[in-house]
Amino acid sequence: MNKFMATFSQTYLSKVRAKSFMISTLIIVLLIFIGANFDKIIGIFDSSEELTTIKVESDEAFMTQFEAIMNALESDIDVVENDGEIGAAEALLTIDGTEPLSFTLAADQEIPGDQMNDIEMALGELQRTNTIQALNLSPEEAERLNTPPEITYDIASGPEEAEVDEAATPEEEMFETNMLNTIIFYVTVIVMFFIIINYASQIGTEVAMEKTSRVIEMIVSSVPPVTHLLAKISAMILVSLTQLGIFLIAIVIAIQLFDFSDIISDFGLESDDQTLTMIVYSVIYLILGLVLYLSISALLGSFISRMEDLQQALLPVTMFSLIGFYIAIFNVWGSADNMLVKISSYFPLFTPFVMPLRAINEDTSQITLLIGVAILIVSIILAIWLAASIYRNSVLSTSSGIFKNLKRIRKE
Amino acid sequence: MTLELENLSKSFNGQTAVDEINLNVPSGSMYGFLGGNGAGKTTTFRMILGLLQPSAGKITYNGKKIDYDVTNDIGYLPEERGLHPKLKVEEQIRYLGQLKGMSKKVIDKKLDEWLERFGVPENRNKRIEKLSKGNQQKIQLIASIIHDPKLIILDEPFSGLDPVNVEILKTAVKDLNREGATIIFSTHRMEHVEELCESLCILNKGKQVISGNIDEIKSDFGQKEIIIEGDHDVDFLRNMPGVIDMKQIRKKIILKIENESYAEPIYNEIVKLGYFKRFQVNEPSINDIFISKVGTNYE
Repeated sequence: MNKFMATFSQTYLSKVRAKSFMISTLIIVLLIFIGANFDKIIGIFDSSEELTTIKVESDEAFMTQFEAIMNALESDIDVVENDGEIGAAEALLTIDGTEPLSFTLAADQEIPGDQMNDIEMALGELQRTNTIQALNLSPEEAERLNTPPEITYDIASGPEEAEVDEAATPEEEMFETNMLNTIIFYVTVIVMFFIIINYASQIGTEVAMEKTSRVIEMIVSSVPPVTHLLAKISAMILVSLTQLGIFLIAIVIAIQLFDFSDIISDFGLESDDQTLTMIVYSVIYLILGLVLYLSISALLGSFISRMEDLQQALLPVTMFSLIGFYIAIFNVWGSADNMLVKISSYFPLFTPFVMPLRAINEDTSQITLLIGVAILIVSIILAIWLAASIYRNSVLSTSSGIFKNLKRIRKE
Repeated sequence: MTLELENLSKSFNGQTAVDEINLNVPSGSMYGFLGGNGAGKTTTFRMILGLLQPSAGKITYNGKKIDYDVTNDIGYLPEERGLHPKLKVEEQIRYLGQLKGMSKKVIDKKLDEWLERFGVPENRNKRIEKLSKGNQQKIQLIASIIHDPKLIILDEPFSGLDPVNVEILKTAVKDLNREGATIIFSTHRMEHVEELCESLCILNKGKQVISGNIDEIKSDFGQKEIIIEGDHDVDFLRNMPGVIDMKQIRKKIILKIENESYAEPIYNEIVKLGYFKRFQVNEPSINDIFISKVGTNYE
């Protein structure tokens, strides 16, 4: 155990003290703070100023109508009659024609995009109302214009989902996918991908460097190779968790320091029953995925005998994590429960990416998610067992190439 | 307290690397492994350390199998040198020392002593990659002996060093042996074995050619060497009884005789000719023994 700690603390400290670790952490923390202040940064570059008043040059009836619609959309803008002066944060709306309606909007400064949209929407509504009046449509006829089509869904589905269908149509269900859960999913998958790519290559480098620099022979003459390998993998996981921890602290600080209420209310971020499940499973899959990929990378790193071959040796890790990442990301806005997602969620190397996607969906049973966890645990045990049985022989061999090594080791 | 190798063999993919080695390394001795490239020295060492599993035979240390319970008593300097290039000397030694079960405090104290002894105290806070090859080798030797091992295995400890550093390392190795450590080292330089070891084992293509106490090997071997230096023509000595070989290097004539009893008649013959600067009977060199046993010069 002492020897485990020696390798563990040596690896951990040397990685955490490394400049690359500090710089990459610092950059991300900076990005988090920049992201938290994004609206302010946009404000600096955005010369447009919020409008407070729109002055209208038209008859009384039109103005009342416009004011009513405008106030419903944007309460910050006052609609008043034109008094001939356009000051700061004011715009002048003139009616140029009535059949069809045409307007001129004049202001001394740029108008922010969202206010512009509101004004356009208000004018569009005005136009529609006026048209309905001009056509002499009855209220019922006008109502019919606004009625959306009625669609009944009669789509075959699995027995368990059939009952749910009565309560809500699939379309509504999809729409109800909680925004907060989706964001948790995005963060998990992106962080997992970033960390796997980064730390898989780091542990591969560590193992390969010890092998190519030959120091491994001294090490394995003091400590069993399996202990050494496990200590290295655990240390790397702790390094990555340390980095994650720093990011989390930065996010918490950013939330404390800066006001997020606007952003949160804009997106309607609210937790629901599935949020807790999402968070728990995301963390579990994140950690298990990390362990699995790091074990495999350590094994692959021990195969090579020249540092130049490292990237090639780690290619499988890059490929599989990339595919898993894409499957997860590309299916989040589609039908998150399609066949590809279902099948790939049981493939160990994709499970950590795809299972969190399935966890968003309330219909995915706990058992499915637990099967995913079990698949990962079994794969990790297999990967570590394989790494442990091969590592001792592969670190002392000078032949390179995965297959050559496997062949040689099988023979011995 | 001995290391014993019994019928030790190792083959890789049907190729025999080590073939039936039998050795007994007594406690406190200095044991030399001689052999050219591919003779099986490193393979034998790796088997002793448990890094490779023997194909046949067994190894015992103090009557027990060597495993990770006893590695704290063993120091090993591999033939292929290497340390963590990015670490500082201090960090590297601390790490490798901790792997041998030492505390940081003891390591620091010992490291200072050793750096002082090797004349490189200024390297303590330098990165390994910044050191010269000779200095890296010193650091690695320190790493392999800092925990006061009882058994030290040094694979080619003197290769690639300049003569000054070879002397420093040789002195250190002798001191360690005097302090009680059993030392096994391999080399392809005959003179190092002759100078340092009491016992040796010569390996050739995986086979054990000779092994045992050097003095006994030499006296059992019997053959002696006579060196004659003078201005007279002594070509007739070639036909004297007991003379195996004769060669001339400028004015120096080297005779090989079957045993020492033939030396006196030769001496009697040449003194008849007059004055000779030199007449000397030498022990055979290990190289001679090697050549006569294997049939070729191994280097």
